[in-house]
Amino acid sequence: MTTPKHMVELRDVCMQFEENKVLDGFSLNVEPQERLVIMGQSGSGKSTILRLILGTLRPNAGSIFFKRFEITGLQRRKLQAVRQHMGMVYQYSALLSSRNVRENVALPLEELTDKSRDEIDKIVDEKLELVGMKDSKDLLPEELSGGMRKRVALARALVLEPELMLLDEPSAGLDPVIASVIDELIISLSDTAKVTSITVTHEMDSAFRIGTRMAMLYQGKIIEEAEPEKFKQSKNPVVAQFLSGSTEGPILEGSLDAITKK
Amino acid sequence: MADAQPPPVLVAQGIGHISRNFLREVGGVFWFIVNTFEEMFERIQQGRVPFRATSFFRHSQRAGVDSVPLVGLVSFFLGLTMTLLTGYQLQRFGTERLIPGLVAIGFTRELGPLLTGIMVAARIGAAFTAELGTMQVSEEVEAIESMGIGPLRFLVAPRMLALILLMPCLSTASNIAAILASSLICKAYFSIAFPYFLDLVKDSLLIRDIITGIFKSFLFGLLIAAIACYRGLTVKGGAAGVGISTTSSVVTAITAVIGFDTLYNVIYTTFYPT
Repeated sequence: MTTPKHMVELRDVCMQFEENKVLDGFSLNVEPQERLVIMGQSGSGKSTILRLILGTLRPNAGSIFFKRFEITGLQRRKLQAVRQHMGMVYQYSALLSSRNVRENVALPLEELTDKSRDEIDKIVDEKLELVGMKDSKDLLPEELSGGMRKRVALARALVLEPELMLLDEPSAGLDPVIASVIDELIISLSDTAKVTSITVTHEMDSAFRIGTRMAMLYQGKIIEEAEPEKFKQSKNPVVAQFLSGSTEGPILEGSLDAITKK
Repeated sequence: MADAQPPPVLVAQGIGHISRNFLREVGGVFWFIVNTFEEMFERIQQGRVPFRATSFFRHSQRAGVDSVPLVGLVSFFLGLTMTLLTGYQLQRFGTERLIPGLVAIGFTRELGPLLTGIMVAARIGAAFTAELGTMQVSEEVEAIESMGIGPLRFLVAPRMLALILLMPCLSTASNIAAILASSLICKAYFSIAFPYFLDLVKDSLLIRDIITGIFKSFLFGLLIAAIACYRGLTVKGGAAGVGISTTSSVVTAITAVIGFDTLYNVIYTTFYPT
């Protein structure tokens, strides 16, 4: 097996949940400092891709690499160490409900580093300021709105200065201004901190703002991959229908024939 | 119906299905315990504490200290009842002085750990399952895992260790409450004064009985915590799933406690019959 040259590499990954085949020979490469956006229908397996990269799900077949590490073959201890180089923002934030904002953001630092309480407080303040949540650090997640929770989740994902950010619908449910703030933050992270990101989203505006490369997932495979401008002009009927939001087209027919015809 | 299978085949299939599920669950809990300790020791090898002391003390407070009133009260009433019922029977033969020993041995070796186990399984096992189950369905457990933090050592280990260490203490509280209740009844109904009661207890109670009771308590603590946390972390199906798992956790833990108690007694009395 050849050594991967990319930041993230998925090779012929198959993933099946009982009878439902979600990924079928899925392959994808992500380059350093790239901001890849994966689009696709609900339930098409976009979030599954992020979980596979994190190693919280194991594929039925295929290999997944993060830098030189093969995620699929790593022992638990090594996998935990590799995960510290990734930051994940979940669709529903997944904040620990019994801990306040500060404690949520501080958790990875407290558990995985030898930093003092003062150092941790300083980093937590810095990250919360970055997402505009510094004044809410004593609140519990149940006291926050959906958008606020997502911003805290982003701050938590950033505290360990990850090389790779995995974002599951980062701007879903946010007002346009906050969504733009989050998008700008993701862009600035890759520009200044050289962070690579993989974003899964339905939000077109956000997707085209963030992405340096777009990919369309359909029926378990990437059917189109291009830079944002080229992607918008794609002749692929599935991509065209998805971007226009039309009800006419191959997506509802659920057949690959229409794609291969072109 | 032409393709209907004969009843014996269906019965055999049913037994096979139940046995397979049972063995799968037993294996699941066993490896869950092994993996929890493995994660803890890996962390210790890295020169770090496996979990924070505050987390351990919080669970100890909840599982142990807060359970003392319930365990004490139930054991006290059971001690009263046991003394009264056995006392009247023994009085007919003029052997009331056997009551203190009977209650002391009965509770120290058997009823104390067993009753405590059942009460803790219902009170704390249910709480552990519901808590971890809710975290599981709201992706909190996965979020912890995705940060590179071992969820077993972070969430399960402090709960498991708290219950293992607190169960013998709770059993002791249960024994003391029952013996105290027995002494009151002995004084009131059978004219056994407290100093004489204590002498009779000391004469009849062997170190072996106390060690047996304490050993059982450690075992029950491990079982209850493991089953409750395992059920919590394997919840599927949202809020309804949490409810189903919590019920299942309590039923399984109580059954396991009684089953292991019986097994322990059978093995113990086989090797040490006196």
